Amino acid sequence: MRLVWWLAAITVVSLASIVLSERRAFDPVQNLSLTATTPLASRLRDAARPVDDFFKGITDRGDIVRENKDLRDQIEKLEHAVAAQQNAEQRVRELEDALGVKQARPEDQLLVANVMSEDTSGLKRMIAIDRGSKDGLDEGMVVLSRGGSLVGTVTRTFNDFSWVQLVTDPDSSVNAQVIPGAPQGQAGSPSPTPAATAAPAVTPTPADPASSPAATGAPTPPPSSPTPVPSPVRGVAEGDLKHELVLDLLPPDASLTEGSLVTTSGLGGNYPRELLIGSVEGVEQRPQSPFTKATLKPAANLYTLDTVLVLLSFKPARLSPQ
Amino acid sequence: MQYIEILGVTPDLVLIFVAVWAVVRGHEEAWIVALLAGFVKDLSVSDPLGTAALALTPIVLLAAATRIRAVDTEFLPSVVVVALGSLGYGIISMIVLAGTGQSMAWSDSILRVVLPGCLVNALFTPLIYMPVHTFTAQRRLGTIGTRRLTSPL
Repeated sequence: MRLVWWLAAITVVSLASIVLSERRAFDPVQNLSLTATTPLASRLRDAARPVDDFFKGITDRGDIVRENKDLRDQIEKLEHAVAAQQNAEQRVRELEDALGVKQARPEDQLLVANVMSEDTSGLKRMIAIDRGSKDGLDEGMVVLSRGGSLVGTVTRTFNDFSWVQLVTDPDSSVNAQVIPGAPQGQAGSPSPTPAATAAPAVTPTPADPASSPAATGAPTPPPSSPTPVPSPVRGVAEGDLKHELVLDLLPPDASLTEGSLVTTSGLGGNYPRELLIGSVEGVEQRPQSPFTKATLKPAANLYTLDTVLVLLSFKPARLSPQ
Repeated sequence: MQYIEILGVTPDLVLIFVAVWAVVRGHEEAWIVALLAGFVKDLSVSDPLGTAALALTPIVLLAAATRIRAVDTEFLPSVVVVALGSLGYGIISMIVLAGTGQSMAWSDSILRVVLPGCLVNALFTPLIYMPVHTFTAQRRLGTIGTRRLTSPL
């Protein structure tokens, strides 16, 4: 009977918490926890070290042991100094990269943010960044990598940090287009800026542009042009637990080549146009299927993100004033 | 950003701890441990607060069920509770996430996250079981010793 009471009590408390959390009643607590625990963890580790050393020191006897220990400590301190210097150099390189993207997009207002944490549940692909609503972040804002390619969107903001849904999250879908032109030679290389990726769009492709029903609304070539400008093939880039990123809802007759670059199409107004998402890795065409599907390789390395850029100047359709 | 990933999943040490605690120390204590551990876990992930606490409840029920067992060991029931508890945890988490408006790829999530999670968590059980078991055994021994020393008999 006590078991049932406990079960009922825990269930009620948990469900009440979930409801209150969804109504953002716990935002201050959640904001405080992640902001506080990140530096606290390293401080606790440092604080515990002398205690640990003390207990180890009780068993250590003799000048040689003590001297050896001192020397080891000195080596460790020097290694710390070297590591700190290397970290600082790495940070300078990251910020220089970020500055490069900023210079490539002078019209955009970008905010540099550090990745604090990652959702480890496995069911979602989310990261926490150290910028929140007090820095001007709002839900729906677009997040880019240091190289300028699409990372995801801000899905939940707290005062001091925010959760970013990566493009590989199963809940993420982005209106995308395959840039017609020669496939990218270096799919795994650092992503170019969106301006650079848009350049191959003028190069003709073997695919017949007229056969693509999704091409309506795309820029039409000028009448005087001797070679027609191919239209981009449009689809929806969706996160997938199996393939990470899938480009779905492509026209059945879409001809895609491996390595073709995929960017945002700007449809729907939730993402700006021509942000690099990734490159085509494989194409799946089934005779019965009404759509062609392609697996994508994200341009940004989403596993090693340390610094990201939040696009403050672009307001998603949902956030724009009515 | 550094996580141990095996079979594409990260071992859930909080879940293993709650399961082992529930088996070794009994379900009465485990209810409180599950509630507190669940809330602490939720503070470090993007799930709504209370999701983990709710998802950890089947573990305590499973641990209570293992009291009726044929084998005289706590290790094997711990492994079983961790494995089955991981399954229950994953499914309840998915239900909560779907209930809060997130689209779930059910089959992929179960095949690629929940089931490998059961295996990985079960493999990591000894890591948590040994300290919890040792700590409990020491406490039991201490209690018996104190009683013996202070016993009027």
